[in-house]
Parts: sequence; structure tokens; C-alpha cells
Amino acid sequence: MINILIIEDDKNIAKMIKATLSIVNYSGKCCYDGKSGAKEALKGTYDLILLDVMLPEMNGFEVMNDIKNCGTPVIFLTAVQDVADKVKGLRLGAEDYIVKPFEALELLARIDVVLRRSNKTQNIITYGSIMVDISGHVITDGGEPVQLTPKEFDVIVYFLQHQDIAVSRERLLSSIWGYEFEGESRTVDIHVQQVRRKLHLKDKLITIPKLGYRLESQEKP
Amino acid sequence: MKLWQKIFLSSLCLIIAAVNVISIVLLNNSHKLLIEREQEHATNEYEYFAASFANTVVYERLKTDKIILSSDNVRNIASDIVRGRSQGQSAAAIYDSDKKLIECSNLPELFDSHDFKSYISSLNVSGSSYDIRIFQCGKIHYMTVCSSVKAENVNYLVMTVTDVSEIYTLRDRQTDFVRKIGLISAAVISLILLVTVIFLLRPLSRLNIYTKAIAGGNYKIRIRKRGSREFRELAENMNIMADSVQSNAARLEKIAEDRQTFIANLAHEMKTPLTSILGFADLLRIKKSVSDRERQEYAGVIVEETKRMRALSGKLMELIALGGTETEKKPVSLPAMIHDTETSLSPILAKKYVSLICDSEDITIYADEELFKSLLYNIIENAIKASDMGQEIILRAGMSQGNVVIAVTDHGIGMSEEDAQKVFEPFYMVDKSRSRKAGGAGLGLALCVKIAELHNAILSIDSHLGEGTTVYIIISGEECFK
Repeated sequence: MINILIIEDDKNIAKMIKATLSIVNYSGKCCYDGKSGAKEALKGTYDLILLDVMLPEMNGFEVMNDIKNCGTPVIFLTAVQDVADKVKGLRLGAEDYIVKPFEALELLARIDVVLRRSNKTQNIITYGSIMVDISGHVITDGGEPVQLTPKEFDVIVYFLQHQDIAVSRERLLSSIWGYEFEGESRTVDIHVQQVRRKLHLKDKLITIPKLGYRLESQEKP
Repeated sequence: MKLWQKIFLSSLCLIIAAVNVISIVLLNNSHKLLIEREQEHATNEYEYFAASFANTVVYERLKTDKIILSSDNVRNIASDIVRGRSQGQSAAAIYDSDKKLIECSNLPELFDSHDFKSYISSLNVSGSSYDIRIFQCGKIHYMTVCSSVKAENVNYLVMTVTDVSEIYTLRDRQTDFVRKIGLISAAVISLILLVTVIFLLRPLSRLNIYTKAIAGGNYKIRIRKRGSREFRELAENMNIMADSVQSNAARLEKIAEDRQTFIANLAHEMKTPLTSILGFADLLRIKKSVSDRERQEYAGVIVEETKRMRALSGKLMELIALGGTETEKKPVSLPAMIHDTETSLSPILAKKYVSLICDSEDITIYADEELFKSLLYNIIENAIKASDMGQEIILRAGMSQGNVVIAVTDHGIGMSEEDAQKVFEPFYMVDKSRSRKAGGAGLGLALCVKIAELHNAILSIDSHLGEGTTVYIIISGEECFK
């Protein structure tokens, strides 16, 4: 289970982040000031730290300075959209930088990128009879390999990682095709249909009107 | 062209011109004197020659015992006497009354020259005055003295010639000498002048360097006062200018910095509730199933944070409105305003069981009633927020040292000295979570400071952690209505 430390002085934001993490089954622990946050982080039991910049007692950069030797990846959270701040954070060794306010899925996507980089995500995901080896780029259904295009593969992996979450077409576009991709949401629909057909997920990968798609989780036997 | 170059060149030209004019005048003067002396000398010689001609004629007449000598005889005498003189430097010539040459010395360059001939033809044979003239033949100058001499009732033109080249060579040599001396002295003078000008104007280039530095943004440097008085004055004035530039720049920097901080804080204060609102709303949207407990919790936070944003925007609007509006000041009774404020605060007071004890002298001040009530309201509201259940807040208003002083004292949580100093800054909150729960945006006191400024008043705070806080509103006595 992925363990994430949230250092954020606003209790409501901390609560919101924790709730967001819980939907992908990550556990979160909240600290409300820099000092206790740094102390908690130095225990080294966390896979990732979400660190606010403006904190009482010690600000985020000071905390970062204290904890950078423990090797836990850090993502900064900040209300200030200042390039100098961003550079400062990244230079101190932060993995990423999220500007408030942010959407829940954006936060999760950024977290996933960082976790993948530090090899902390699951490499093999099983879903019913489907088994996906992410690093090997291999997908089998009941032992039989399934031929998917690279983008189709990314789409199914994204859904498997975000089960039971309604994912908008825009979110899929920006996560899989990249922010700079200016394709239409039709592209997403075609890929999702292909995935659905090839993996026989007609009843599981459902369309949510006006929003996007959702992959229903397998009922626990 | 630079100033030192101008000064240097113009003084140099003036000096050289002056030296040259003076030496030319002096030279001419001495030359003239020499010529006069030579003229005298030549005249003497001439007189001697003319006399010897006349005497010889008389002597010859007596010797030959004639009553009158024939013109031929006179001519012979004239020829003899001219020849007798034509030795060495001297020369002479004698003409008859028709200006026909009788005899002249062997000096063809003079006697055959065109100038000389036209001179002779212009002469008056019967005139008695001496006619002195100088002729230049090549490099040699001749001085001629000419006059008519009467011999045996006939006028003869008698002329003596003297070589005066020496005077001219002397003049040329002196001119040459003066020119050389002039050149050397010009060189020396220019050197001295150059050094002097550069030395005198050196402070100017230093001033220039400092001015450039100040213009370049280095407002800290000051110019050392050196050089002549004008430069010292200039340096002093420039220092005064630099002082004012520095203080103005510092003031502007402070304003810009304050504004920057204000905007950064505002962004933070707006984005914090927005983050919670967006996050929880998004969760409600994308989650497949939301339990009742979760829904209540999420929606609760959204409502709470929305209220916070509403409070923030309200206070912000007030703050902006204050900046633009003209206050309408009129005499208002202070006790009446305090009473009104107390009334509007009564629900909040009642909620916390806090009692407000007011004690005000009967003072009337010039104030914008609504704004001033809002100032009192904010300060008392802060006192209520800081107080515990059932405590009391004391408001005293009276005259002190010519000023109107309103003191609001609570016995609540108080704050540290450090916090008390920053508490008037926009968005500064001593205890963020507590303040937010109470619906604060951190703008109340900033608003109060603005209102106080409009009323010629200052706010000061005296607080001790755990003991309580007193806020003083000190209104200048000028605002007091008598």
C-alpha cells in the first residue's frame, strides 16, 4: 500500500487530499505545520511527500532542506504561481510542483508519475482474467496475448489504475496524449471503443453521459 | 568639444594673440625710432653735402673772379662733388632745374628704377623743404634726402643717398627672434595652461562619474566635497538630490513591495478555500459511490470555504471602496456612535456572553459616521473574538494630551509582541485556523488602519500573551469639534 505524507496547514485542504488519495487506495497522513511535518518525514516510512510552501513554524523550502537526504520524493503544493518559486522548489530536489487550486485527478496523475519514476507503483495489474505487465508492455486475457496499439495500452492501464473513478475525456487526453495534443475527444472515444471490444469490457468500462468513462472494479469474490 | 578643451584653446589663443600684438607694436615702435634717427643723420649729411656744393660754387666764382658762373661751370662742379661723395656707403645725385641728371653715383639699381624715376618727376624743383624717402632695391634699402639748392640763380635738385639696410635687417632679425620666442613661449604656456585647466576641472569629471553612478541606480553613494567652492556647492547639492532620490526610491520600493505582498497574500487567501472547494466538489463528481457521511463532510467543507471566500470578497470590496471614496466628515457625537456600534454588535456579544462596558466623555468629532462606526465595530469584534465566554470588554473614550483617545481592552488570549507588530498588515492572522473558523479574512485591521488614516488618527496596540489586548485609537485634536 502506498503511504503518503501530507504537510499542509489548511485542515480542509489536507482533508480533501486525504480523501482524494483514498479513492485510489493510497493512505495519507496529515501534518499541519512544518516542524512536525519534517519530523514525520524523517521517519522515512513514506513513499511520497506532498509539501505545502506556506507553512507555520517552518516554510516548505526549509522543510525540503531538512528532509532531502531521506530520499523520499517530494511534490510541492503552492498557491503562488511564481516561476522563481517553482525553480527554487525544483532546485531543492522536489519532483514536481502543483499549483492550487487543482482537480483531484490532476493530483493523482502527478502522484502516479512521481511514483512510477521511483518504481513504487505496481508493475503487474490483474483485473479478472486480464493481466497487464506495465513495464513489459504485455497484456493477456485468460493467458492469451491481446494486440493493442500503444495508445490503447495506455488507455487501459489508466483505467485500471483509476478504477471506479469517472474519468473525463479531457483528463484522458491530457494524461495519455499529453497536454500539447490538440486532438478531439472523438479520438478518446475511438480508443475506448477499441479497448472495450478487444478486452470484452462492454459491461465494465461504462460511458457516463456528459462526463466520460468509468471502469467498474471487479466485485470481490 | 569638451569644456576643458574650450577653456584651454580660447585662453591659449588669447594669450598668443596678446603676446604677438604687443611684440609687433614694440618692434614697429623701435623701428620707427631707428628710422627717425637715421633720417636726422641723413639730413645732417645732406646739409653738409648741399653746403659743400654751394660753397664750392661760391669759392669757384671767387677764384675765377667772375660775377656769375656759367651753368656749365656749375655742372662741372656738381659732377665733381658727386663723384667726390661716391665712395663707400654714400651716394649722391644732382639734377638741373629741368630735372635732367647732371651727375649721379654709380648706383644703377636705385637711379634706374622705375619708382625712383617717377619720384623724381613728381618733385618740385623750387621747393625748399627736405624730401625724405626710402626705396627698396632688392635686399637693400636706400634713404634719399632731396631738396633744391640755388646756385648762381638756378635751382638744382641735390640728393644724397644713404644705405639704411641695416635697420631693416635688424627689424627682420628681431621679428624672427620674436617669432621663435613666441613659439617657444606658446608651447610652454599651453603646457602650463593645460595642466592648470585639467587640474581645476578635475572635480567636474569626478562629479560626472558620481552622477552617472547615481543615475545608474546606486543611490547610496555620496560625493566627497573637494575642489573649488562652486564644485563643493555642486557636490553638496547633488548629495541633497541623491538623498531625496534615495528616500523616494526607497518609499516607492516599499509601496511596490507592500503591494506585491498584498497580492501574493490575496492570491494565497483566495486559492486556499478554492483548493478545498474544487477538490471536494471534484471528489463528489468523480467518485462512483459517496456515503452519506462523506457527502455531508465534503459538502460541509465546501459551504464553510465558500463562506470564507464571501467574507474575504466583502472585506476586500470595503477596502477597495475606501481607497476611492471621499469621506463626508461632519460633527458627530462619539458616545452616540459607540452606543450604535454596541447595538449592532449585541447579537455577537450575546452569543459569547461577553459584556461590553462603555465609558465615554461627551466629545464631538469630525468623522464620517458610517466609516467610523465600522472602525469601532471591527475593533470590538476582534476583542470579542479574542475573548473567552463570559469575559468583559472595556471601552473608554476621553481626551488625553489634546488628542481624543479611544481604548478597547479585552482580557482574552492576547498575543506576542512579534504578532502585535504585524497584526496591522493585510492578511496577517495570529492563529490562522482559529481566525478562519471565526470567519476572519485577515483584513479587518488593515481596513481599520485605512479608516483611521482618513480620520487623521493612528492605531496602536498593546498586548500580552494570555493577559489580553488593548487597542488605542488616537485621533488628532484637530478633528475635535468644540
